[in-house]
Amino acid sequence: MTTSLDLLLWGAAPYAAIALLVGGGVWRYRYDRFGWTSRSSQLHESTLLRIGSPLFHFGLLLVIGGHVLGLLVPKNLTELLGVTEDNYHLVSLGMGSIAGLAALTGLAILLWRRLRVPAVRNASLRSDRIAYPVLALAMLAGLTTTVLDNGLRGGYDYRETISPWFRGILLLHPQPELMAHVPLDYKLHVVLGMTLFALWPFSRLVHAFSAPVHYLLRPYVVYRRREPGRVGNRATRRGWEPVDR
Amino acid sequence: MSVRTPSASDSADKGGGTRPAGTDGSATDALLRLGRYLTRSTTSADLRAVYRTGGRDGDAFYRDRWSHDKVVPSTHGVNCTGSCRWKVYVSDGIITWESQDPDYPSIGPDKPEYEPRGCPRGASFSWYSYSPTRVRFPYARGVLVEMYREARRIHHDPVAAWASVVDDPHKRGVYHRARGKGGLVRVSWDEAAEMVAAAHVHAIATHGPDRVAGFSPIPAMSLVSHAVGARFMALIGAPMLSFYDWYADLPVASPQVFGDQTDVPESADWWDAAYLMMWGSNVPVTRTPDAHWMVEARYRGQKVVVVSPDYADNTKFADEWLAPHPGTDAALAMAMGHVVLTEFFVRREVDYFTDYARQFTDLPFLVTLAERPEGLVPAKFLTAADLGPEAAGKAAEWKTVLIDAVTDQPVVPNGSIGFRWNAEDEGRWNLDLGEVVPRLSLHGDQRHEPVEVLLPRFDAPDGAAGVLRRGVPARRIGEHLVTTVFDLLLAQYGVRRAGLPGVWPTGYDDASQPCTPAWQQEITSVPADRVARIAREFASTAEESRGRCMILMGAGTNHWFHSDTVYRSFLALLTLTGCQGRNGGGWAHYVGQEKVRPLTGHATLASALDWVRPPRHMIGTAYWYLHTDQWRYDSMRNDALLSPLATGALAGTSAADALAVSARLGWMPSYPTFDRNPLDLVAEAEAAGTDPVEHVVEQLRTGQLGFACEDPDDPRNWPRVLTVWRSNLLGSSAKGHEYFLRHLLGTDANLRATEAPPDRRPRTTKWHERAPEGKLDLLLAMDYRMTSTTLFADVVLPAATWYEKHDLSSTDMHPFVHSFNAAVDPPWQTRTDFDAFHTIARRFSELAEDHLGVRRDLVATPMTHDTPGETAQPHGVVRDWRLGQADPVPGRTMPVLTVVERDYPAVAAKLATLGPLLDAVGTTTKGITYDVSEELAWLAAKNGVAASGPAAGRPLINTDIRAADALLALSGTTNGHLAAQGFRSLERRVGQPLAHLATENEGRRVAFADTRAQPAAVTTSPEWSGSETGGRRYSAFVINVEHRKPWHTLTGRQHFFLDHDWMHELGEALPVYRPPLDMHRLFGEPRLGPAGREVTVRYLTPHSKWSIHSTYQDNLIMLSLSRGGQTIWISPGDAEAIGVGDNDWIEAVNRNGVVVARAIVSHRMPTGTVFMYHAQDRAVNVPRSEATGKRGGTHNSLTKLLMKPTHLIGGYAQLSFGFNYLGPTGNQRDEITVIRRRSQEVSY
Repeated sequence: MTTSLDLLLWGAAPYAAIALLVGGGVWRYRYDRFGWTSRSSQLHESTLLRIGSPLFHFGLLLVIGGHVLGLLVPKNLTELLGVTEDNYHLVSLGMGSIAGLAALTGLAILLWRRLRVPAVRNASLRSDRIAYPVLALAMLAGLTTTVLDNGLRGGYDYRETISPWFRGILLLHPQPELMAHVPLDYKLHVVLGMTLFALWPFSRLVHAFSAPVHYLLRPYVVYRRREPGRVGNRATRRGWEPVDR
Repeated sequence: MSVRTPSASDSADKGGGTRPAGTDGSATDALLRLGRYLTRSTTSADLRAVYRTGGRDGDAFYRDRWSHDKVVPSTHGVNCTGSCRWKVYVSDGIITWESQDPDYPSIGPDKPEYEPRGCPRGASFSWYSYSPTRVRFPYARGVLVEMYREARRIHHDPVAAWASVVDDPHKRGVYHRARGKGGLVRVSWDEAAEMVAAAHVHAIATHGPDRVAGFSPIPAMSLVSHAVGARFMALIGAPMLSFYDWYADLPVASPQVFGDQTDVPESADWWDAAYLMMWGSNVPVTRTPDAHWMVEARYRGQKVVVVSPDYADNTKFADEWLAPHPGTDAALAMAMGHVVLTEFFVRREVDYFTDYARQFTDLPFLVTLAERPEGLVPAKFLTAADLGPEAAGKAAEWKTVLIDAVTDQPVVPNGSIGFRWNAEDEGRWNLDLGEVVPRLSLHGDQRHEPVEVLLPRFDAPDGAAGVLRRGVPARRIGEHLVTTVFDLLLAQYGVRRAGLPGVWPTGYDDASQPCTPAWQQEITSVPADRVARIAREFASTAEESRGRCMILMGAGTNHWFHSDTVYRSFLALLTLTGCQGRNGGGWAHYVGQEKVRPLTGHATLASALDWVRPPRHMIGTAYWYLHTDQWRYDSMRNDALLSPLATGALAGTSAADALAVSARLGWMPSYPTFDRNPLDLVAEAEAAGTDPVEHVVEQLRTGQLGFACEDPDDPRNWPRVLTVWRSNLLGSSAKGHEYFLRHLLGTDANLRATEAPPDRRPRTTKWHERAPEGKLDLLLAMDYRMTSTTLFADVVLPAATWYEKHDLSSTDMHPFVHSFNAAVDPPWQTRTDFDAFHTIARRFSELAEDHLGVRRDLVATPMTHDTPGETAQPHGVVRDWRLGQADPVPGRTMPVLTVVERDYPAVAAKLATLGPLLDAVGTTTKGITYDVSEELAWLAAKNGVAASGPAAGRPLINTDIRAADALLALSGTTNGHLAAQGFRSLERRVGQPLAHLATENEGRRVAFADTRAQPAAVTTSPEWSGSETGGRRYSAFVINVEHRKPWHTLTGRQHFFLDHDWMHELGEALPVYRPPLDMHRLFGEPRLGPAGREVTVRYLTPHSKWSIHSTYQDNLIMLSLSRGGQTIWISPGDAEAIGVGDNDWIEAVNRNGVVVARAIVSHRMPTGTVFMYHAQDRAVNVPRSEATGKRGGTHNSLTKLLMKPTHLIGGYAQLSFGFNYLGPTGNQRDEITVIRRRSQEVSY
C-alpha cells in the first residue's frame, strides 16, 4: 500500500532532485562559470584544513564507492560472483563504518574550522549555511544506518528494497512501494541525499564535477589559439559578424 | 617563508645532467605520455606544452575589469613634494583607479629619467572619491544652525542674525562646547554661504579685517586653489597665516646663511653627486618617487652615508650608517668641520676651497672685537662707515670690509647689501673682486696681534652654558680691533694654530674641548675615528670633484628647537668644501619645501597685488602661540637659552615678550595688530582731520593705542573667523593640539598643564586671571573628507578632490609644471575651492553693501626681505622706541604703516579680474620688478574682460583654467619673455651678463593646455638661484657662483657669522652645538629612562610610510598595509622595562595631553626614543584614555609650541621678514613623554 506521501517522496521527489541537479548545473555552467569553484579557504587557514580535508574527501570517495557497489550492482550479480550476503554485509559494515567515520570526522574538523576560525567564517557564503548542515546530516544519517541497522541491530538488507528502487528511478520505472517499509533512518538518509543533490548546483559542491584529475596527464603550459573566424575575445553578437567579401 | 639554498647534495641529486631539463621525473613523463593519447590537442615533443584552439571566453572577464572610457592626467595636492603625474581612469562616469603617467620629457641621454613617478600612497587615492568619509554636502553644526535660523526669523538681516548668536555669551558657549562632538547637519550651499559671509562681515565691521584669517599651506601643491582663497583674504584685508615656519619645515639657517627661503637641487641632480650623505632625511619613505636616483647613482660610484638614530629605511641603501643620539647631529657635524678645517685649511691649503671661501663666503670679512670686563668678544661686521668719512659712500653702514692680501689694505668689495638698493651703486651689486685677493686669515699678516676671545659653549648635557677662551690673530683698523670670520671660525671649531693664546684641544682624541671627534663621541656615541675618516672622505671628494658632495637633510634634523644651529653646522661643511652652487653638490633640504616655480604669478594672484598692496601676511607660529594661549603655560624664560656672554637684553623675558618686541620694532608681522579695529583707526584720524599714520604713531607713543599681541586674551583682540582649506590643521600640524581645543575652540580637551606661575609669566603681555575658552566665532573648513579639522568646524563645505578640478602643481624635486584636471565633474554637491570662494565672495559682497561699504584700512607690515626696508636697522643693533632708545619711525624703528582702500561690495568682482595696479607698477619678486603689460593684453584677449561692474574692462580670471593661465603668464619660469626681461633688469643692478640664461626660451610661453598635454619644463628665471639653461639639472645658487650674482645677504656672500644683537645674546653668532632642550629642567617632566611601570622617552613624530600627513592614512588600503590605527614605535628595551608586548595598547602622557595607541615593538628603534608617525588622524580607532577618560588625541596632543627669540629678528638684511621666508618655527622634536602599558580593554 503506497500512501500519497510515499508517492511524493519516492516517486516524484527523485525526479525533482535530478531535474534540479541537471538543470541547475547547466544554468550554473552557463551563467556563473567563473564562480564554478570550491572557493578554497586555504589562504585563510591551512593547518586544520590539511588534516580535515583529505580525511573528508578520501573518506567520501570510499563512501561513494560503497554506494555505487550497494546501489547500482544488483544483489544477484554479486551472488553470481560468489559473494554471500554475509560476506557482503561484513565488508559493507566494516568498510562503510571506517569510511563513513573518516569522512564524518573530516567534516567535523572542517565545520569547526568554518565556524570558529574568523577569517574562514567571514569567507563563508549564504549557501554554505544550508549545504553544510544538509551534508553533515546526510552523512550522519548514513553512518547511523550502517552502524545501527547493519551493525548493532544485526543487519538490514537494503539490496532488496532501496537498491532496486534506486535503479528503478534511473530506469524511469519508479517503484515507490519498495521504499514504503524501509527503516526510518534509511528514509531520512535518502531524503537528505536527494536534498543534497538538489542543492548541488547552487553551492560550492559543484567543484566535485571539476576536480582537476586531468592535471595529472596535462603538460604545465597550455597555449590557446584564438578560435578561427572570431574577432576579439567575445562571441560575435548577432548582426556584428564579419562580412565576407 | 623559507628559501631553500642549493647545497652539495642538491647538485649530486641531479646526477650531472643525465636527465633532460623539463619535467619532474620518469613518473611524470609516463603520465604526460599517456595524456597525449587522451587529447586531440597537440603536445610538444618535450612534453611541456599543449596547444589548444579556443576556450578563451574567460579573457573577456579580465579585459572588462580593466576597460575604461577615458584617461585624464592629474596629480595629488596633498602636501607632498612628489608632484607626480598620474593617469586617472574613468569608467561609466566613475573614477575607477589611477596609474603612474610616464610622459615626462626626457632629461637627456646620459641619465636615468623622471618617469614614472608615484608611490603606493598616491596609487590609493581614488578610494577617496566615493569613500564613506567623503564630504558630499555642506554641513554646519546643528546647534548653531538652529540658533541661527531662530535668529533669522527675528532679524531679517543675516549679519544681525549672526551677531545675535555669536555675541550672546550663552549661545556662543553652547555651540563652542559642541565642537568636535558630532552633530553636524546638512545645510544648503545658499545657507552655508550666507552664514559664512555674515560671519566675515560681522567680524570685519565689529573687530577689524585683521581678526579674520585664512590658513592654507604649501601653494605649490595646488596653486590655483590656494591662490583663490588667499586672494579673497587679501581683498578683504584678512591675514594669511604662514605654514613653512609653522610646520617647522623652514630651515631658519637658510635665510640666515643664504638669505634665501629654501632653494635646493632637483632630485636628478643627486645623480651628479659623488658623495651623498642622507642626514635626517628618510628618502625612500618621504621622497619615494625620487629615491631611485639615490640608488642608481651608486652604480656611478657614488658613496652613500646615512646619519640616522634609528634603523630607518634608507640605512639599508647606505655604505655607512652613523647613528648619533637624537638631536645631537650638530656635534657630529662640528667635529667633521674640525677635521676639514684642520686638514684642508690649516695643515694643507686646498686652492679650490680657499678660492671659493674668498669669493663666495663671508669668511674673509672683518669683525670687530668688543672689550668686555671678562675679555674680548666678537661683535659686529666692520663696515665702510667705520673706515672714516672718505670711504663712506651711500649706505656705508651696509657695506662690509675685508683686507686685500695684495695691498694689505682694508677694501670694500662689491656685492654687499649696501650696493643693492641705491641708485649710485647700480651695476656694483656683484661678487666680482677685480684685482682684490681677500685675506682669509690675519694669521700670516705681519701686523697681526694674537688676542684671546671668549666664545660660548653649550655642550653640557643639560644645555648649561660655558665659556671657551681661544686665540685669534687681530689687527687694529681705526679705532676697531678686528679679525676675520675665518679666524673666528677656526677658534670656534678649536683648530689650533701656532702662536695663538687660549685653551685648545691637544688633538682629535681630546674629548674635553669642542669640537674634536673625541668630544663628539661623548655626545653622539659615534666613534671618533669614523667621524674623522668620513670628514676626510667628504672633503677630499669635494676637492677632487670640485664640490660634488651633497647632504640630503630633513625633518630628523630640522624639527628641533635648535635646528638652525644644526643646519648651520651642515651648511658650514658644504660651504667650506665649495659644494654650494655646484651640480651634484650642496645642501638638499627636503622637508615641506615645495617650490612654487611660477612664483611671481602665484604671488600676484594670491596676494591680490593687482588690486591692493600690501597684503597681511602673518607668522603662523606666533599666531597660534598667542591665540591658543600656549603662552600662558610657557614657563620657560629666555634666560635658559642665553649665552654666558650675553649683555642681558633678554634676561628675565619670555617668548611672548620677544614677540612683542618683534612686533613693535617692525621685525615680524603681528595680526591682529592693534587693540582697535584698523578701519576705525583711520576713521578716527579722518574725523580728527589728521593723517592716519601720524595718528597711530602718536597714539602708540602715548600708549593710548596698544598692540594686540600684548593683550591677546582681550576679546577685542581675538581671532574671530578662521577659514582652513587644503589643510587638516587640527589633525596634522597643530602643535599643542589640546591647547587649540580648549582655548581657540572652547571645547573639551585633554590638557593637563598648569599655567606659568606669576614669576615666570611674560613681563609685557597682559595677564587675565581667567583664560578665555572659545575665541573663534566661526571655524570654516573646506575638505573632501572628514578630518580632525572638519569634525571641529562650524561649517564644512564639500570640496572637489584632485581628480575633480583644474589646477597646477609644481615641486623642487623635478623641473616640470603640470596640471590637475577634472576627470569627472565634482560629484554630489561638492565644489572646487575656486567655486566655493567665489560663492562666498558673491554673498559677502552683497551683505557688505549695507554693512561695510568702502572703508579705509591701516595695514602694519614689517620691514621686508628683498625690499629696501631690509636695510632699516644697521648693524643689527636693537633700539626700542618704547624704551626711548629711538624715535618711533614707521619703516625704520617700527612697522611700515600703509593706508589702503577696501571696497568691500566690489570684492567678488575684484576676485574674478586682474586689477589695474599691474598696469601702473608691474609686479615685483625678490627685488626685481616686471612690466607685465604684454601679458595683460594677452590675457585680456584670451580670457576676455569684465563687461560691467566695478572691474569693468579688466582681464577675467573667473574660472580655474583662466586663473591658471594668468598665473603661468605672469611668471618667469613659465614665460620666457618675463624671465629674459627680469634678467635684463637684474643685469643693470649686478653689472654682470645674465640675460643669456633666459634668451634660449624668450619666445616660449607655457599655457594651461601645455601643462595638461605633458609636464612642461620650466625656464631659468631670476625668481630662483639655479639654472636649467641648456638642459642642465637644477642646482641652487649656480647663478651666484657662475655669474657672480650676490646672495641676498648682508655681505652678499654665504654667511658663517651673524652679528645681530640677539644672535650674540643667544651665543649663536657662529655655528655651535646646542643639545636638545632639557624638558626635565625646563618643565619638570620626569628624567629620561624607566621608573617602575613607566618609561620616559624622547618623543619624535617623523613622517609615515603609510600616509602623507593625515591624507591616505585613513584610507582603507593604507590602513590595511599598516597597523590600521594610531601606533607608537618603541624599542625592545623600553618595551621590556614596562612589560609591553608588540601590539599592546599603551598610553603616552605628558603635561600637554594624552595619546592612546598600540605599541609597535621593533629593533629599528634605539632605546630611549619612541616614534609616533606624524598626523595619524583622530578619526580612526582612537579610544578613551585612562588618564583623562576622554578620547586620546593626535600625535600633537603631546607637543607644545616653544619659540626661539632669534627667529623673530627682523629689519636686518637677510634677517628680515618674508612670508614663509623667516619666522619662529613650530618645532616639536625636543618633547619627551611618559609611556605606560594600559588596560587592554579599550572603549570608544
